[in-house]
Amino acid sequence: MTRIPLTEEQLVERYGPHLNQAPPGGWDAGIEVDRVVETHCCFCGQQCGIKLKVHDDRVVGFEPWYDFPFNEGKLCPKGVKRYLQGSHPDRLLHPLERDESSSEGFRQVSWDDALDRVVSEIRRIQAAYGDDAFAMLSGVSLTNEKSYLVGKFARLALHTANLDYNGRYCMVSAGAGNKKALGADRAPNPWSDIPLADVVWVAGANVAETFPITTSYIWRARDRGARLIVQDPRVVPLARTADIFLPVRPGSDSALFGAVLHELIRNDWLDHEFIDAHTVDFDLAAAAVADMTPRWAADVCGVPAARIEEVAELWGTAATGMMLHARGIEQQTKGVDNVLAAINLGLATGKFGKPGCGVSTITGQGNGQGGREHGHKCDQLPGNRDITNPEHRRHVAEVWGCDESEIPGKGIPAQEIIEAIHDGTIKGLISICFNPAVSAPDSNFTAEALDRLEFYVAIDFFLSETGHHADIVLPGSLHEEDEGTSTTGEGRIVKINAAVSPPGEARLDWKILADIAERLGRGDRFRYDSTQDIFNELRRASAGGTADYKGATWERIVAEHGMFWPVPEEGHPGTPRLYEGGRFFHPDGKARFHGVAWRESAEAVDDEYPVWLTTGRVVSQYLSGTQTRRIAALVAQYPEPLCEMHPRLAESLGIADGDIVTVASRRGDITLPAKVVNTIRPDTVFIPYHWPGTKAANQLTNRAVDPISKMPEFKVAAVRVRKADGHTTTTDARDFELTDAGKPSA
Amino acid sequence: MAEANRLDRRGVVWGLIAVALVVALTFLGSDRLVWFDAALIGYLFGTIFAAFGVVYRYAVWLRRPPTAMLNRRGWDAFRRNKGRNLAALPSLAATQLLTQGFIRRRSRARWIAHQLVFWGCILAALVTFPLTLGLLHFESVGQQADRYQVYLSRVGTLSFDAGSIAGWTMFHALDIAAVLVLAGVFVFLRRRLNDPGALAVERGGDFLALAGLFAVSVTGLFLTVSSAWLEGQFYSALNTIHALTVILGLMYLPFGKLFHIFQRPGNLGVAYYRRENSVGAPAVCRRCGGEFASAQQIADLKAVLPEVGFDYTFATRVEGGEDGNYQDTCPRCRRASVTLAQSARVGGFG
Amino acid sequence: MTKQARYGIDDTPIFVIDQSRCIGCEACVQACEECGTHRGQSLIHLERVDRAQSTQTAPMVCMHCEDPTCANVCPADAIKQTEGGIVQSALKPRCIGCSNCVLACPFGVPKYVAEFDQMMKCDMCTDRTSEGYAPMCASVCPSEALWYGTAEEFKASRTGSLIDGWLFGRQHVRTKVFTVVDDLAGGPLDALAAPTRTWLDDPFGLEEAP
Repeated sequence: MTRIPLTEEQLVERYGPHLNQAPPGGWDAGIEVDRVVETHCCFCGQQCGIKLKVHDDRVVGFEPWYDFPFNEGKLCPKGVKRYLQGSHPDRLLHPLERDESSSEGFRQVSWDDALDRVVSEIRRIQAAYGDDAFAMLSGVSLTNEKSYLVGKFARLALHTANLDYNGRYCMVSAGAGNKKALGADRAPNPWSDIPLADVVWVAGANVAETFPITTSYIWRARDRGARLIVQDPRVVPLARTADIFLPVRPGSDSALFGAVLHELIRNDWLDHEFIDAHTVDFDLAAAAVADMTPRWAADVCGVPAARIEEVAELWGTAATGMMLHARGIEQQTKGVDNVLAAINLGLATGKFGKPGCGVSTITGQGNGQGGREHGHKCDQLPGNRDITNPEHRRHVAEVWGCDESEIPGKGIPAQEIIEAIHDGTIKGLISICFNPAVSAPDSNFTAEALDRLEFYVAIDFFLSETGHHADIVLPGSLHEEDEGTSTTGEGRIVKINAAVSPPGEARLDWKILADIAERLGRGDRFRYDSTQDIFNELRRASAGGTADYKGATWERIVAEHGMFWPVPEEGHPGTPRLYEGGRFFHPDGKARFHGVAWRESAEAVDDEYPVWLTTGRVVSQYLSGTQTRRIAALVAQYPEPLCEMHPRLAESLGIADGDIVTVASRRGDITLPAKVVNTIRPDTVFIPYHWPGTKAANQLTNRAVDPISKMPEFKVAAVRVRKADGHTTTTDARDFELTDAGKPSA
Repeated sequence: MAEANRLDRRGVVWGLIAVALVVALTFLGSDRLVWFDAALIGYLFGTIFAAFGVVYRYAVWLRRPPTAMLNRRGWDAFRRNKGRNLAALPSLAATQLLTQGFIRRRSRARWIAHQLVFWGCILAALVTFPLTLGLLHFESVGQQADRYQVYLSRVGTLSFDAGSIAGWTMFHALDIAAVLVLAGVFVFLRRRLNDPGALAVERGGDFLALAGLFAVSVTGLFLTVSSAWLEGQFYSALNTIHALTVILGLMYLPFGKLFHIFQRPGNLGVAYYRRENSVGAPAVCRRCGGEFASAQQIADLKAVLPEVGFDYTFATRVEGGEDGNYQDTCPRCRRASVTLAQSARVGGFG
Repeated sequence: MTKQARYGIDDTPIFVIDQSRCIGCEACVQACEECGTHRGQSLIHLERVDRAQSTQTAPMVCMHCEDPTCANVCPADAIKQTEGGIVQSALKPRCIGCSNCVLACPFGVPKYVAEFDQMMKCDMCTDRTSEGYAPMCASVCPSEALWYGTAEEFKASRTGSLIDGWLFGRQHVRTKVFTVVDDLAGGPLDALAAPTRTWLDDPFGLEEAP
């Protein structure tokens, strides 16, 4: 049983998160720089270019990379402080083995001992319970090369079908919706299209906090006169500057999109030519929204009908327009519905395949785009190939030099893997860069599941909360310790360069996988001389797929500051904008409308749980916080979760700003300070999710998943809020600067 | 600088008084020039010039409206609780002026450098000025060739053996000072040359000060080298060069970076002012109603600002109401006001 | 939207602050302390205007006044302007830590750093601008609320007019840093102007017809 060896507090004391306060040598030392490495930020799908300053094999600072065209030197606070994840006291330096008798919970072991144990446990579990009883969970902080190798490793070395990745908790609904409607899982547009749009509609994307750099693209459009629509239950920082704000009630996005389509049809703000020439099934979509009047939607969404009508007119009459959506509409049991309904609006008005037009998801995780294309998604093979398609399987088998039958079939998605661990059908787990203890919904359930494994091996650079359950911990590599490529939210393949080497006994991730494969007797498939070798194999494996990297060499990626896939041939310029001229990626070249009928979220408010809960991020933290909760300057920006609520709701519950409140759902509860603000719907509370244990917002969220994408419903839950004991101040440096004068010095 | 354009009459008077004092001190202290060493006449002129310059500049500086205000307030504060403030003086002076913890907290390397230069200069000054003014001299005791007694004016004090450690130290005090200063200068230079940030905010005066300290120390050490190892070769030429650097250094004192030696004690006045203000009434922000500084300091600023040409008053919208003053706004509300004013002019995002 | 990576002397780049575009991310605050001239000390200000009411934030760099109030009220004569008009941090040896500058600056810019017993303020990253690079804050600012480039580059990519005049009651202040207004006809920016009303007073349409 993989119960944690000590208490959480003891493990935190030993393995962190501790805070890295200052660069190596301290702030007051002068800065010596041996070399400057051009690479990318690891903290989101925008993959901003950044230069890392290196001295003595340590990253000591950063410098803006003005020449990288996507961000021209711009960075968010995470990017600025990303370099402090290196030289960190919590860095895992040696293989560890769980040891309950040790005061540290783990004991240091040799690589040989650790790998032998891993392999013998894999063999034992697979012999006893079948190959698929050993699962793998991966993460898209990994480069394309690592992601590709994880896919190959799980299939050929582990022989398990049950491999999935943390993108399942991120943008998978968008991927599924895009594939269904347009034929490819990629944002249709390069970001350079945003400034060309006359209308920019941001739906369920807290751009300012989760994709800060995109803000500048939106302003470029507005500088040209574009109007901005923001759809969100909260007046997020970008919404403050919007022309029209659509304060949707959580879980009601498809009703709002439906009402807009209803209005487009009623006023004939349609591009009939486009619909006829480039799409099918418009009738299905039209029929589904026949009764979705703005008045009806106003009731469902809590948005004044006049604003819906105004938006429909704006979108319907503008020559160009871009809709940008993200987790707000995607992390729902209706995530795919929402995405399809959004795409319907683009198709109906002909806003695809031309400059300044598109309905684009904003991919969240560092290599969310590239990672999911090349292998660690349970239903995909490299190049966005379908693991159930015999032709696709044959192609990949040929590249891998194996028999097609050797490649296992479709596995179960991440949330089902956790449920299968909980119910005992999956007994063994290997994970890399995935922290479901924090990021999975219903974290009490997840913790129960993680206690029940017979064997768990974690590859990571810090000991994450999930890693606390591990039998063996293998120290892998940080982003800046290996080279490779990643693919940004735009579909741009960029080059990651190594700045330093892994410290202590830590190893490159791909070498760890190759070592395990070797000991499993399948090493012949994993013998690479360099990371570039892996990429070149990936290029062949992806060739002919939708995400075709065949012509994208490292050399060209560097020289051209990234390349947009598909790049089907050497010398091909890449494809910044998809669907040019209305040619979609379905075999008939046409896009599909979908009829999206209204349905309620998996859980709706009632008398017992009368308040909507929605979760999300803050600008200073990234995902489960394994990296960003270890950087002092970022922690200082937003140290702990707060529960945002409207003064009307607060007043009705007798709650004042800073009062400690308990928020409870059917799954669990969390006690935290209330932040009373006018910027959230009066029927909704918001809690950011980056923290573990008793501070985890995911104690409240619902495990119900979207029927197609298998995305859990992070964005909608029913809760009740009660005042608890205590009060604190919720102000931070942004509310009051303590360095103002007048106060006597100490 | 306006003050540099023409001579300030009051400054001149104070400067001349300082010169008179130095001359008088020399005359009396050297027992009517009996013990005055004529070879040091150049140094004396340098000292007299420095005294005039420093006092002149100090007097002019003290009359700038904000300086005058602070000077007055500092003394007021000091007098208001003389006993306590006097008692606090030694520790305040020790931490603010001698151990200089505020520099250490900024950068340890910078602090070490500053301490080396600081104590080196103090030591050098303690030897050089008394010698120059003839206040200090050595006499051999009786017929003992290597036993000396230290005389302050004509009063004999301790005696020592030239070969003893005390004696060696006494005769090489200036060499020790030079080594301290040189070590400090090297740490400073290393920091400046290696730190692109420090280099960027470099002002001409910074290097000049370091160069001056370096020149004085090195030429002084050369004298010892010449007499100890070169049998006095080049001594007189080196002596002239050293004298020249010292005299130039003294003349530079009132103009350059080193003037902070005389300004810095003003920090003690600030400390008393602060203490006094911290128990006094707080200023209340006209915008947010929060307390943000001492009412006294804000009142003082409002008095000083018109004297230096600023008018932050505004007519209140209430008829017959007294003028308001923007200076009654806390810094945070100033930043907020500026932001709101700008936002209102670009579409009015709230 | 391409800007130069590095400016020559003849380019005369300008700094523009458009507070209205600030998204409060604090990239500037984090980047400021990475500047070589004051490593470890962030000198830019960024605050919420009133978080209970809105997400608006107030970023503030030194505006580098033509005739700086801070320098005029400094009893130690420690605040100097460069030939280029940059008002520098207090000279370390001179500053006696009185905080007059902190309290008198109409923009609320200088900071009194108790630890060092001295005032520090934005010096527009002298180490960077002297080499032709943008200051740290304007390099990283994701929303371009803080911007550095030539006036021509600004005109080519942004709307609004550049303005460098402010009114604080009767005091007119001219600054080296520009800000942006829709229309210059409104005259200098008046820090005491009454706020305008927008949809943000009722973002959720609680007072609006459904």
